Amino acid sequence: MQGSTSPGQFVFEQRAGESVPSVLYDEHVKLTSKSHITAFAGYLMPLWYSSIAQEHRAVRQNAGLFDCTHMGVLEVCGPDAGLFLDVVSTNRVEDLKLGRARYGYVLDAAGNVLDDIIVYRRGETRFMVVVNAANEAKIRSYLHELQQGRAVVDTASSLWAAKLPKLKVSIQDMRDPNRPSDRRVDLALQGPASFDTLGKLTDPSAAKRICELKSFAFVEEKVGGIDCLICRTGYTGSNVGVELFVDPKEAPRLWNLILEAGRPLGVLPCGLGSRDSLRIEAGLPLYGHELDGKFQISPFEAGYGWAVKLDKEFFIGQAAMRRVAETYDMEVARIELSAARGVRPIRQDDALLDEKGECVGWVLSAAKIEEKQIALAYLDRKAAVEGTRLGVYYLARSASQAEQGRLEVVTKGQKVDSDLGGTVTSRFAKF
Amino acid sequence: MAVAQGLLYTKDHEWARVEGDTATVGITDYAQEQLGEVVFVELPKVGKEFGAHKEFAVVESSKAASDVFCPVAGRVTEVNTELETQPELVNKDCYGEGWLCKVKITDTKSLDSLMDAKKYEEYLKTL
Repeated sequence: MQGSTSPGQFVFEQRAGESVPSVLYDEHVKLTSKSHITAFAGYLMPLWYSSIAQEHRAVRQNAGLFDCTHMGVLEVCGPDAGLFLDVVSTNRVEDLKLGRARYGYVLDAAGNVLDDIIVYRRGETRFMVVVNAANEAKIRSYLHELQQGRAVVDTASSLWAAKLPKLKVSIQDMRDPNRPSDRRVDLALQGPASFDTLGKLTDPSAAKRICELKSFAFVEEKVGGIDCLICRTGYTGSNVGVELFVDPKEAPRLWNLILEAGRPLGVLPCGLGSRDSLRIEAGLPLYGHELDGKFQISPFEAGYGWAVKLDKEFFIGQAAMRRVAETYDMEVARIELSAARGVRPIRQDDALLDEKGECVGWVLSAAKIEEKQIALAYLDRKAAVEGTRLGVYYLARSASQAEQGRLEVVTKGQKVDSDLGGTVTSRFAKF
Repeated sequence: MAVAQGLLYTKDHEWARVEGDTATVGITDYAQEQLGEVVFVELPKVGKEFGAHKEFAVVESSKAASDVFCPVAGRVTEVNTELETQPELVNKDCYGEGWLCKVKITDTKSLDSLMDAKKYEEYLKTL
């Protein structure tokens, strides 16, 4: 990528390569046609098995099982692992209790979001860190550069830059099949029937411990005889749901056991399509859309200022976050619109208009859910108030529409005619 | 993947049913399967003329907005207005009730580049 870099910016060149089958690929092709499998973040992953709408409904009413084996799973351990992660993550790590996980951000020294992560504490000096598939190579390179003292840590002081290379920390890829033990890939079981499904595959005391898990708490139990790290987290907005971290060699067996046990309870395998519609409905950000991306959206704008501990002694990007926290004037909002028959679906970059028809923001992601469309949008904070009525202008969908005068870009403040009305709703939704 | 006999096909997965100087046009089973649930169809205006393989309609699913290219050169004589309220007909019956429009063929040579059902089936196997 060409372009100027700001001081403290971490530049990583992503290597494009052939996508590889996910660990569960052989199971996917038994359940769906190859035409429904797509390349995603370097892996061949299913878009849907039955239909996006059916799988979405299954998660809301029963439960759905997702292949998340593409997600990066790192082990960060050693005497200084907690301190190292506390410098790398915007959220607190050192005071995290055993068996608990915490959401946070990895920033560069300029304050750019490199990824959103979850840190799990498995021991005093032993952590698991889950990163986005698309960002895994970048994050591993960044952590390595920090350990080597080669990445910018703080543009104002050299204190922490000097400290980091001295810390005793080891970083390992937990998905590596050559790792001798404790290999982990991620599967997610989400929706109200999740616990009943797992209950059929665990002994009663383990089932009880799983049911009693608080949000962002985890246990290590056997499911169908397979060692699993089970955490009450997810990306669907479901109150009930877990992620199961399992040996990649056992992942296909666990996948089939859960689907079999869940079948009478209405559990369906779910693809990337419903994963997207569910997270949009819940208001959860996707890196590159509601985080970073072309607007370089910060955690504050995304609605996660609470995960950025400005009062912490230090984290990389802290000075930039202090400035952002004081000055940001755009934020991510959730908007509800009609999806009645004959209503054209809204798409990324469509313009959002205030009552005067002036552009106050743009669509970041959108999904049709039953008779509604839910959009996550980047909106002027003055307009991002629950209950505010907004208009939408559809950008040109094809060259012929553009020839007929439909705009391909609308800039902030530009006045255009509204094609559809919508309402700002609560930032998040729980199910 | 269903391929209807007696129709002509493009590599972009449109079909044409030629009767006299008129072609009825739609998208194939493969195309609708790829798109997923069709939620909106934008059809051209009656009377408008298109060259062969020019974009003339947009089919939108929850996944994507896709251009549809006119398989033959011609003038639009009729559009399937049922799709305004029932876009899902494209999924349910792509070779029947889910047709998009009828075109009066202005250049029969534009038919020469289209595949018959057998050739289209072979083409699908290569994808």
